[in-house]
Amino acid sequence: MTTPNISWTRIGLPRRSFLKGATALGGLAATGLMLPRPAHAAEGTLKTRTYADIRSMDPAFSQGVVDEEIQAAIYNKLIQYNPGRQWGWQLDAADMIEQVDDTHINFALKDTIGFTNGFGAMTAEDVKFSFERIIDDTLESTNKPDWGPLDHVEVTGERTGTIVLKNAFQPLWSITLPYIAGNIVSKAAFESVGGKIDTQPVATSGPYLHAGWEQKQKTTLRRNPDWQGEPAAFDEIQIYHIDDEKAAEIAFEAGEIDFTRVSLDSVERLKSSPIEGTTLDEYPSLYYVWVGMNLDNPKMANPKLRQAIQYAIDVPTIMAAAYFGAAEPSTGIIAPGLPGHRETSLTGAAANLEKAQALMAESGEGNVSLTISVLNKSANVTAAQIIQANLAAIGITLEISLHEGATFWELGSDANVEMVLNRYSMTPDPYYATSWFISEQAGIWNWERFKNEEFDALHLTAQSEADPVKRAEMYVRAQDLMEESGAYKFLTHEATPVIYRNSIVPALRPDGLPLYRYFGAA
Amino acid sequence: MTDLTVPKPRSELGEIVYHLVRDPLGLTGLVIVLLILASALFAPWIAPYDPIALNVPDRLQGPGAAHLLGTDQLGRDTFSRVIWGGRVALQVALPTIGGAILIGLLLGMIAGYGPKWIDNLIVLLFDTVRSFPTVMFALAVVALVGPSLNTVIVVIMVTSVPTYGRVVRTLTQSLKEAEFITAEKSLGASTPRIMTVHILPNVLGPLAVLAAMDIPTVVGLEAGLSFLGMGVKPPTPSWGSLLNDGYNLIRNTPWLIIAGGIPLILTTIGFTFLGEALRDVVDPKLRGKGGK
Repeated sequence: MTTPNISWTRIGLPRRSFLKGATALGGLAATGLMLPRPAHAAEGTLKTRTYADIRSMDPAFSQGVVDEEIQAAIYNKLIQYNPGRQWGWQLDAADMIEQVDDTHINFALKDTIGFTNGFGAMTAEDVKFSFERIIDDTLESTNKPDWGPLDHVEVTGERTGTIVLKNAFQPLWSITLPYIAGNIVSKAAFESVGGKIDTQPVATSGPYLHAGWEQKQKTTLRRNPDWQGEPAAFDEIQIYHIDDEKAAEIAFEAGEIDFTRVSLDSVERLKSSPIEGTTLDEYPSLYYVWVGMNLDNPKMANPKLRQAIQYAIDVPTIMAAAYFGAAEPSTGIIAPGLPGHRETSLTGAAANLEKAQALMAESGEGNVSLTISVLNKSANVTAAQIIQANLAAIGITLEISLHEGATFWELGSDANVEMVLNRYSMTPDPYYATSWFISEQAGIWNWERFKNEEFDALHLTAQSEADPVKRAEMYVRAQDLMEESGAYKFLTHEATPVIYRNSIVPALRPDGLPLYRYFGAA
Repeated sequence: MTDLTVPKPRSELGEIVYHLVRDPLGLTGLVIVLLILASALFAPWIAPYDPIALNVPDRLQGPGAAHLLGTDQLGRDTFSRVIWGGRVALQVALPTIGGAILIGLLLGMIAGYGPKWIDNLIVLLFDTVRSFPTVMFALAVVALVGPSLNTVIVVIMVTSVPTYGRVVRTLTQSLKEAEFITAEKSLGASTPRIMTVHILPNVLGPLAVLAAMDIPTVVGLEAGLSFLGMGVKPPTPSWGSLLNDGYNLIRNTPWLIIAGGIPLILTTIGFTFLGEALRDVVDPKLRGKGGK
């Protein structure tokens, strides 16, 4: 057995350099000068909040932002999202990364990054292991789609390698490398525990260590003393699981937490009566909310009926009552700021009652009685009641069927669903949005059972299209097709208002989600 | 000259009402209950607005001349929704309690009067139903079949049956051994006759007391399910859904939660006072002693 010729911190100190350094240090000490502190830009504890408990600390199985908020702080990726108002990325574990052609991305790792618990330096083998395990069919990773057409990772040196794709994949830079599937784990650590982990990381490498997890209570991150990169600002980050947004707001006002998302209905109050020493910031969200109509349900088969519904729904009223004026109507599934965002929708945001009534008359339908399935959340219930009133105006009786989370998320496979008020999360690439509405997804995530060959082809082509203008046009057309089918009425992308104490400097993605590793102290 | 005419004896109901109104607690309860019943019964005439009519531009208004209790997030008049919510509460409570009494009465009398093996079987059934926490059971059923007024009624009725059944069973068992029942039996009275003519009237009084005390529980349960979005379907007004809206908007406008909470408190107070007073009246040992 050979011992790898690497150490995770590069000393690289020749005898002559050592003597020079020692002399300089001695001189500084003699003159009483203090050396600048290499780390610990700020002390203390950051207390923050998450809306759900963690599910997995394994990047192959983590499910969305809740897990990723923690993983982004304890693991490294080749690149990380930039905090700020514009989507972009910065180098993280990578010292260099470049796309040499459509299917090859070369990278070189920094030599200052290592894993905890004695698992050594981060190497290209770790990168290869981390990425390839996600596409390995035997692992059955839930995040396999994020890696798209990854073929393999070629290791070209201890810290250098090449990501090889089967075909061009534009979302690689926006949702693969800087997000969940881009987290790099220690091959040795994972192999020591059988290849995968659950909620307890075996070895981490980021600026914070995973110091503890109390189920449904909190996760504690602690400053990694061996971290060689930009210093972590806090000794400790405590992330409390507070599901209810109102409870989180009360906790914030009581001084129990320093940062939280607030509910949309609180924005107006917090603006008119600001809490001293705090800042309220509003960020756009990427989520998309829409009313879907099941094309396979005979009751929804009449296209004129579906169009009448599209024109009857008054989105501005929904924005006012359900979102308290803190969100804007959407034009599709792709939010402003992302390629493929449409400036306007085909059916408009405001109701066009005359047109809806005319379409209803053309449809030849009478005594129409439909059911809309709704997840039992305040905004959804309010929105559904407005839709109910809107449809009543064109002679449609709409029954509201409320569901708990468990039953609601099973509705995708229920062919009897008629209408549904739905909301999906989103990552900053349009590919992620269209992927749920392809024909293959009918009855899985494509609840409307929308099947369109042109849409499917656009989804496939656009993911490889290097020309950003052409790519954006493709996604615009894809959304046109969705809307033309009559199966969709787009409502909103919502918004992400956050509040924080002025003693901290939050680092947020452009959609308002926290990047804890970059949080600072004021 | 002394008037020697014998006063006309009051009917049983008249006797109960006579004693109820003489008891301050009973009178208070009776008045509150009558007010709730009247407001539910005459809701279409009392409520100034359609409780489900949307008026979004007027949303979240405070109390005023136009809207006594303000408006909700959809601009609906809160006072009208409170009044109509009372109708929903009683629509759930009355058939639920009525159904539970009927089933409980039947099963309880059979268990109390019938052979031991039937008694054991029915008691096992009661214990099985009672072993489920009511709220959890209700949530599970509603989650499975979907929320609706009928589902709520059936779920609460089923979980309430053992309460009445056990009381009836115990009373029947004690009455079964009474001398007048033995005398009836020796005179050749049939079992159905004994149960309907002699036992039934003697268990109805305690059941009425129990029912009066149970109504607020059922109303509270319906409100709780509606608060969780598992009760009546929107846009039907319910005190529970008012509380839910109020909870979500408590920092913006506290009126909604106050409007949803007050009728629940009044219902609890009214029916509890009435039930307490009724218990004193029905129980001959307590009559005239104020329950002491």
